[in-house]
Amino acid sequence: MADNRHIVNPPNRLGDRVRRTGGPTPEQAILRALNAAEDLMDEYQGWAVDDLTKLWQAFEASVDGTPSSTQILQMFEIAHGIRGEGGSFGFPLVSVISDSLCKLLEDKKTISRPEQEVIKVHILAMRAVFRQNLHGTQPKMEGELRQLLTLLRDRMERRA
Amino acid sequence: MSGFDFESIKILVVDDSRPMRSLIASFLLGFGVKDIYEAADADAGYEKLCDLDPDIVITDWRMPPTDGIQLVERIRTDVDSPNPYLPIIMLTGFTELHRVKQARDAGVTAFLAKPVSAASLYKRLCNVIDDQRPFVRVGGFFGPDRRVPRRDKPYDGVERRRDS
Repeated sequence: MADNRHIVNPPNRLGDRVRRTGGPTPEQAILRALNAAEDLMDEYQGWAVDDLTKLWQAFEASVDGTPSSTQILQMFEIAHGIRGEGGSFGFPLVSVISDSLCKLLEDKKTISRPEQEVIKVHILAMRAVFRQNLHGTQPKMEGELRQLLTLLRDRMERRA
Repeated sequence: MSGFDFESIKILVVDDSRPMRSLIASFLLGFGVKDIYEAADADAGYEKLCDLDPDIVITDWRMPPTDGIQLVERIRTDVDSPNPYLPIIMLTGFTELHRVKQARDAGVTAFLAKPVSAASLYKRLCNVIDDQRPFVRVGGFFGPDRRVPRRDKPYDGVERRRDS
C-alpha cells in the first residue's frame, strides 16, 4: 500500500534550551509552585462565589418559561469553567458536581421540569461545599458523590 | 539540585479563565520559568505567539468565539505560522476519549485534564521536553506522530530475528 506520509524531524529547539540538570528537583519545583500559588488558592472562593451567582441567575432566567438553547449553553459554559477550576484550586467536590452538571447540560436544546430540579440541586450542592469549606482531596466522598449524581441523572432520564 | 532548568524558556498560557491563567502562571513561576505570557482567547493567543515566539503553548479548549482546537490547527497549518513545530499542551476540562482523540488529531503535543495540579503540570512539561517524535503530514493532518509506541506493555509476539 502506498504510504503518503511525509515525515519531518524538526530541530529540538526546546530540548536545546532546557538544561537537564541545575534546576530544582521535581519535589522542590512542585513545592515552590504550590507556595507561589498559595495566595491565589485563598482568592479562589471569591471568584467561585461570583461564578455561582452567575450560574444561579442563568438558572433563574431559564425557569421563567421555556429555557432557550442560548440559556442552556450559558449555564453549560459557567459549569464547565467551574469544573476545571474547582479541583485545581483545592475543591475537588465542586469539580465532581459541576462535571455532573455539564453532563446534564451538554448539547441539550431544551430542559424539562424534572431536569430543572436536578440542575437546582447541583447548584445548591456546590454552594454547600463552599459554605462548609470542604476543600482538599477526599477520594471516598468524591466517589460516593459521583455515584449519587450519576444515579440521579439516570433516574431523571428514565422519567423524561 | 538535579532537575530540569526551565529558566531560559518562554511559555504562553491561553485560557479565558483569569483564575486558571493566574494559577498556571504561578505554578510555572514556581518551576523556575521566567518568561510567562498570557492571553485570554485564541485570537489574542495567536497574535502573542507571532510577537513573542514562545517555546511552549499551554492552551484551554473552550474559549468562545474561537476555540483552542482552532488555535492548534492555525499554529500547525497556517502559512504564516511562526513555528508549526511548537510544542502545544491542551489543558482542558473536556476529558472524554473522543475529545482526547480530537485534540490529538488537531496536532497537540500533549493533553492535560483539568482539574490540574502542580505535579501533573510539571510532569507534562517534562514529557513535552523529552518528546522527540517526528512530525507527520498525511491527508489533512500535520502534527507530532500519533503512532506512539506502547511502552507499558512488553511485546509478546514472535521475535522472528531472535528466534530464527
